[in-house]
Amino acid sequence: MTTQRISIDPITRLEGHGKIDIFLTPKGDVAETYLQIPELRGFERFCVGRLAEDMPNLTSRICGVCPEAHHIAGTKALDALFHIDPPPTAKKLREMFYCIFYATDHTTHFYALGGPDFIMGPDAPPEQRNILGVIQKVGMEITGKVLKMRRDGHNLIEMIGGRKVHPNWGLPGGVSRGITEEQRKEIESLGRDAIEFAKFSLQLFNQIVLGNREYVQLITSEAYTHRTYNMGTVDANNCVNFYDGLIRVVGPDGREHAKYRAKDYRDYIAEYVEPWTYLKFPFLKKIGWKGFVDGEDSGLYKATPLSRLNAADGMATPLAQKEYDRMYETLGGKPVHHTLATHWARLIELLYATERWVELATDPEITGQEYRVLPTATPDEGVGCVEAPRGTLTHHYWTDERGVLTRVNLIVGTTNNYAAINLSIKQAARTLIRKGTTVTEGLLNKIEMAFRAYDPCFGCATHYLPGHMPLTVILRDPDGRVLQTISREAPRAS
Amino acid sequence: MSTTARTPTCPTRPVADPASERVLRTLVLGLGNPLLTDDSVGLRVVDRLRPALDGWPGLELAEDYWGGLRLMERLVGYDRAIIIDAQCSGAPPGTVSTLPADAPPTRHGNSAHDVDLWTALEFGRQAGAAVPTASSIRIVAIEAADVDTFGEECTPAVAAGIPRAAEAVQSLLIEWR
Repeated sequence: MTTQRISIDPITRLEGHGKIDIFLTPKGDVAETYLQIPELRGFERFCVGRLAEDMPNLTSRICGVCPEAHHIAGTKALDALFHIDPPPTAKKLREMFYCIFYATDHTTHFYALGGPDFIMGPDAPPEQRNILGVIQKVGMEITGKVLKMRRDGHNLIEMIGGRKVHPNWGLPGGVSRGITEEQRKEIESLGRDAIEFAKFSLQLFNQIVLGNREYVQLITSEAYTHRTYNMGTVDANNCVNFYDGLIRVVGPDGREHAKYRAKDYRDYIAEYVEPWTYLKFPFLKKIGWKGFVDGEDSGLYKATPLSRLNAADGMATPLAQKEYDRMYETLGGKPVHHTLATHWARLIELLYATERWVELATDPEITGQEYRVLPTATPDEGVGCVEAPRGTLTHHYWTDERGVLTRVNLIVGTTNNYAAINLSIKQAARTLIRKGTTVTEGLLNKIEMAFRAYDPCFGCATHYLPGHMPLTVILRDPDGRVLQTISREAPRAS
Repeated sequence: MSTTARTPTCPTRPVADPASERVLRTLVLGLGNPLLTDDSVGLRVVDRLRPALDGWPGLELAEDYWGGLRLMERLVGYDRAIIIDAQCSGAPPGTVSTLPADAPPTRHGNSAHDVDLWTALEFGRQAGAAVPTASSIRIVAIEAADVDTFGEECTPAVAAGIPRAAEAVQSLLIEWR
């Protein structure tokens, strides 16, 4: 199979659209695919010279999707920077807050984004393939449940974190305030409602997706399968933890490849640069960068909800553990490499987040009055990691002795997955587009499903993301000439 | 082109719904990200409007950072809304447009983690949420030049559009009075 080398110049700015270039062979099969999205610029320059203590609030404003994740990762980086260990009440409050955020975020993704593909079907017209189509198919009851979950989550985040959307709460050594017993009771009560909602969501998935043979075939099809390393954070028992633990990487066969502390991430992860994109591709250093290929000899890895479940030995809460076992039994054992199963894993994480929320809300230390210790050490360098819904999030700060930033490095959740997303798109395109295939909107949607499962958030705060955003797919011949352009604006319900 | 905002005449009585005599609640909402150069323009227009609209009956001025579902949730309880946001439509930077609610999305009209405003409003209505009708929502959009670079100031052409956007908001409020 030969193609001409085509140079894709990243200097040509993407004007707000995601773009996928698909290069065909002379026979009409897919040779290569390239996903490009606009990137935000100048972040490090923006941060250098500012106080590190501003970062939890600053970085929460970068991301319009998971500000809470940046807030907590930034706060943990400050703990490390100032060499201070928060008291147990503070850690439990942070983790509880984070689980509430997770529950809200995962709910929104499943019902508004990922769910419609399955509940309406991938070939349904785009104007039906959204949350309104879901309501029409499964009933009005779901509407109220989704809105309640979101409303409860946002209200509790404001109650605990001091402000909706951009919390104003994390400090080096703890948090700025605790919770009262009255607040604790409300948090517990709403948490129990949230557990029931998570169980309902898994029942819905079971009924509509797993009960449909076509969907199960779609999930397990080769178009959406590739065998990579998987990354996630685990607690002392190797169970999934969103807030803290060690970062564990397992191979395509499920065996542990590495387990490390956040501060040592650069011993394990390096970044590869391709000439056709500004974004870098993290890869496992000890394996090496072998290109957009999977397998145990390729350092390409994934960090998604499914990855977290693959990288762990189980879930730390009982209901989620049952669902974990059921997923792996259904899909043939661990690890699972079917990208679309990420949606299932996301719902299992939703259940875990709600159970853990209630566990922490009923912990005797959660209303403790010792929720901060003051740092006294001179700051120098600190790393904070959390599991953002989209992948392992790393904040790394360097400062002078006054705590003024001299350097900043962030690896956001989706950055871990950028290489895998490109691979998933190529895999889907190669399977679905063969010589003579007419590329339709439904086929385009099936390619998009390959990366929508990752719930990608490339630039943080950019709203020019592929998915339901304006997206252009360009089919090119081996010489780069455009054969077909499929452009779609944001779909709207009819 | 005038760069000074007109001072609207505040009504002496609250604007009421003729059918029910209930005071109509209006939300003027600036959307944006204060750290992304021209993406902050919606927030800046609201800043400029505050002194001019102080005391306007039934009116709330606010800022927010989200589109889609969260924007819909923010509109609950209001009869009318004006949303101010950056737009990237290819027009010259600083151009001000007044759009209906189902116009092509502004910067915060859509994202891969959410739905567009029209869908979100419909979802809210079907859920029984008291959101304004589509005809009671207007978008005042300011064409941006740079929404991809971190920065705390708008580019000059976009900054020059802020007074015009403020005037557009005030014109709408007078039209609705």
